[in-house]
Amino acid sequence: MEERTIVGMALDPQYARFIYNETNPDDVMRKPEAIDDMVVLDMSYGNYAGIFASSILAELGAEVIRIEPPEGDIARKMTPYGIMVKDAGLAYLTEGRNKLHITLNIETEEGREILKKLVKKADVLIESFRPGYMDSLGIGYKQLKEINPGLIYCAVNTYGQFGKDARERANQPDYDLTDQARGVVMSVTGEPELDPEVPQEYKKPLKHGNWMGWYAGGAWAAFGILLAMFYKRKTGKGQLIDAAPPEGMLAISNYLMQYFHLTKKKMVRAGNFDYAVFPYTYVRCKDGYTFMSGFTDPNWAALCEIMNRPDLQKQFPTIRERLTPENQPKIQHEIEKFTMNYTAAELLDIVTEYSRRPDKKGTVVTGRLNSPRDVLEVEHFKIKRMFVKLKDPHYGEVLVPNSTLRFMSRTPGRVKWVCRPIGADNEYIYGKYLGISGKKLEQLKEKGVV
Amino acid sequence: MDYVKKLLGAEEIFDRPEPLKGVRVLEVCSVVLGPSATDYLAEFGAEVIKFEAKRGDQMRYVTPYAFFWKNLSPGLLEQNHNKYWVGMHLGHPKARELFYEFVKRSDVVVDNLTPGRLSKWGVSYDRLREINPKIIQLHVSGFGSWGPYTGRTSYDAIAQSEGGLAYITGFEGRGPLKSGVWIADWTTALMCAIAIVAALNYRERTGEGQYIDYSQVENVIRFLDWTWAYVDMTGENRERVGNRDLAICPSDLFDCKDGWIAIVAFTEEEFRGLCQAMGRMDLYEKYADPLERLKDENARLILKEIAEWTKGKTAREVEELADRYGFAASHVVDVEEAYYSEHLRERGAIMEYDDPLYGEFVEPCYPPRMETPSRLKWGARPIGFDNEFVLTKYLGLSMDEIEALYEEGVIYRWNPDVPPQCPPPDWDGKRGLKFP
Repeated sequence: MEERTIVGMALDPQYARFIYNETNPDDVMRKPEAIDDMVVLDMSYGNYAGIFASSILAELGAEVIRIEPPEGDIARKMTPYGIMVKDAGLAYLTEGRNKLHITLNIETEEGREILKKLVKKADVLIESFRPGYMDSLGIGYKQLKEINPGLIYCAVNTYGQFGKDARERANQPDYDLTDQARGVVMSVTGEPELDPEVPQEYKKPLKHGNWMGWYAGGAWAAFGILLAMFYKRKTGKGQLIDAAPPEGMLAISNYLMQYFHLTKKKMVRAGNFDYAVFPYTYVRCKDGYTFMSGFTDPNWAALCEIMNRPDLQKQFPTIRERLTPENQPKIQHEIEKFTMNYTAAELLDIVTEYSRRPDKKGTVVTGRLNSPRDVLEVEHFKIKRMFVKLKDPHYGEVLVPNSTLRFMSRTPGRVKWVCRPIGADNEYIYGKYLGISGKKLEQLKEKGVV
Repeated sequence: MDYVKKLLGAEEIFDRPEPLKGVRVLEVCSVVLGPSATDYLAEFGAEVIKFEAKRGDQMRYVTPYAFFWKNLSPGLLEQNHNKYWVGMHLGHPKARELFYEFVKRSDVVVDNLTPGRLSKWGVSYDRLREINPKIIQLHVSGFGSWGPYTGRTSYDAIAQSEGGLAYITGFEGRGPLKSGVWIADWTTALMCAIAIVAALNYRERTGEGQYIDYSQVENVIRFLDWTWAYVDMTGENRERVGNRDLAICPSDLFDCKDGWIAIVAFTEEEFRGLCQAMGRMDLYEKYADPLERLKDENARLILKEIAEWTKGKTAREVEELADRYGFAASHVVDVEEAYYSEHLRERGAIMEYDDPLYGEFVEPCYPPRMETPSRLKWGARPIGFDNEFVLTKYLGLSMDEIEALYEEGVIYRWNPDVPPQCPPPDWDGKRGLKFP
C-alpha cells in the first residue's frame, strides 16, 4: 500500500520515501511557522489580489488582520450566482483562512486615529483603494511612514500609484477582468484566430476561467511583501510597494514582447495550438479531452511511432513544418483520429508503456483534461491532502484547497480555520493591541467607528 | 503621485538597493518553470548560477515560428536574466564534488528535473544539509516528490488540464481552452519564489535552512478561487462562461465600435455610475443590490443591456465614462500597445537595456514596483559562457585547473555545430565575457 501511495512512479523510491518523511502532512501542525512574527493589516476592499496576497502570508503564519468597513467587505458578496453562507460568499470562505476580522470606519476621524495606532504595531499594510484615496484621508504611505518607518505599505490597483495611465484613470476600481484585459495575456488567449472552422463570433480575446489577474497579481504582491520583509530584517527599513496586477500578467506573457521587439510582429490567438511547440495540445478522446505532446523532433518521432503513423513524421519532419498555423490544425486532426479510439486513462497507459521501452525514440506526455468534479476525485490529491474540509464553528463544513506551501520541511504552510464573520475579532484585536474593550468598544460601535 | 514616482520611478532604479543582494542561488533547471523561479530572484538581486546539461536548456530550441535572433531563442531569454552560465552536468562524479563546493558557499539550490534525479547524482537534501546546514533546497515538479503520480512527466498544459483550469476556460457551449501563455509554469514559479523568500525570512530569524517540495498541478488548483467550495457544496461542475464572471456582475467583455471593452461595476455605487453613464437608471433601481444581480436570469439580462449600449460606443468613450462615473472599463491591451506604453516605461514595468552580446532589448521587468526594485542587467548566454568567471570567483580555481576540467569533460562550452547553444555569429570572442 505504502509503496503505491508514497512511491508512485518515482525514479528513485528511496528519495520519495525520504521526502515523504520530511514533509509528512501529519506533522504540519506540530512544526513552526515561517513568519509568525509578522503582523499584517489587510484593508483591501472588494479585491481578491489583496486578499490572496494576505492568504499566502496567513498560510505561512503571519497574523493577518482584515480591516473591513462596518458593513463588511463587498468581496464577501463576490460569489457564484449569489450563493452566501451567512455573511460570506464562496470565494471569501476560500480566502478567509487563518485571518482575524475587525471592522473600522476610516472615514471618521476617530477611525483614522485607531488605524494609526494599529499601524504602529504592524509590519505590513495592504490596501486596494483608488490611488490617492488614503492620502486624501491623511493615512497614505507618506503619513504612515512617519508613524512607523518599518512599515511595508502595499497598494494594489490596476493602473498602479503613478504613471501616465494612473493619472488619467485614477477614478477606476481594480477588478480581475480589467486586470486581465490590460495584462496582454488575454489578447492572445481564446479560440484560434487562423482556424477557418472557428465561427467569427468566437474570435475574440478570452479571460482565464478563474480570477487569474487577481490571483497572479496577489501572488506578486505577496512576493514583494516577503522581499521587503527580508530587507527589513536586515536594515529595519520599511518601504512602499506598488502592485499593479496587469503588470503581473504582462511580466509572464511568454516571449511576446521579446518577439515583438525583434520582429515587430505580434503573435495571434492560437487556441490550443502553440506556435512555439507543437504538438502540444488538447485533443479529443473517447471520454472527453486529453493533453498530447511530442514537440521536439525525437518526441514527435515517438508520438508517430505510438500512433503507427510514420507517414506523418515524413510529412512534418521538423519544427519548421510543425510550427505553422496552417499545419497545426491538420496535425491535430490526424492525432485525434488515433486518440478518439481510447479513453484518457488508456492513453496514459499506452504512453507510459512506450516510455519504458529501451528502444523508445523520445518522450510523449499525456494527461487528462479534468473537470473540477473529476479533480476532487483524484486519488493523488486525496493522499496529498490537496483539499481540506474544515468544520467551522460559524460556517459549518467547508471544503477549501489546502496551502500549496505545506511541503516546506521546516515551516509548512497550513490552513487553521476557514473564515470569521464581520467584526468577529474586534474585541480580541482592539483589546490586545490598543486596550480598547468593554464600554469603550461599545461606545465606538455606537458612534459607527467599528 | 509625484512623491511616489520619485520613490519608485524608472529613472533611478540602479541607484536603489536590491533586496536579495548577497543571496546566492544554484539553478539546475530547464524549460520555463524552474528557470523563471530563479529569474524572479535574480531580477531582485540574487546571484543565480545556472548549471546546464550538455544539450543545454530545452528553451534554447523553443521559439515562435522557429525564429532565432543571433542564435538566441526568445523563448530562452524570457526567463533567464542576470544569471551566470556554467556548462556542467551533475551526473559526472567530479562535477558533483565541485557542486558541493558551491553548496558550501550558497544559500539556495533549485531544480525542476524529474523528482529523484538529483538524489541519484548524490545531490539530495540529506547530503546537502550535511555540507551546509543553512541551505534551502527547492524542488518543483508536476505532481511533487511523493504520491501516486510522482515521477509522471508534466508540462504547463498538463497542469492546466489536470488541475481543472482548462475545463473552466472557454466560451459557453464551446470546448475547453488553455491559456495563451504557459500560465501554470509562470504562476507556479512565482509561488516557488515566494516559498524561497519565506524560507529566507525564517532563516534570517533562526539560522535554519529547509527543503521545499512544490507541485505545479496543485498550484493550478490553488488559483481557482471559489471553484472547489462551489463544486463541493452544490455537486455541480463549474462550466465555461466565456468572459462573464459568475461571481461579479456586471463583469464581461463587450463588443464596441472599434473592438472590445471590458466593463466591471459591482458595488452599488459603481453600478449606479454605470447606469448613469448608460442613461439607464431603471436598471439601477431594479438591481442596486449586488447579490440580486448575480442571479443567472438577472445577470444575463443586465449583460445584454450593456452589450446593446456598447455597440454604439468606441472603447475610448466608455473608458472616459468609466473614469467619470467611477466604474472599471478597459479595452484589451496587446503586446504592441504595451511595448510602446509610456505608462509602463515610466514605471519601470518595461525596461530597455543594451546587452553586450545581443544588443538592445526591451522586456518586462518583474513586479511589483518597490523601493528595492527589480532590474534587468543582461540576458541569456551561450552554454558555459561564464565558466571561467564562476570557477575562479567562487571556487578560486586556477586557469590550469579549469583547463583540466575542460579536458576531462567535467565542464564544457557550446557546441559550435548547434547554433542555439552558441554566441552570435559576429561575436568577437570578448564581448560580454566577465572573465578573463
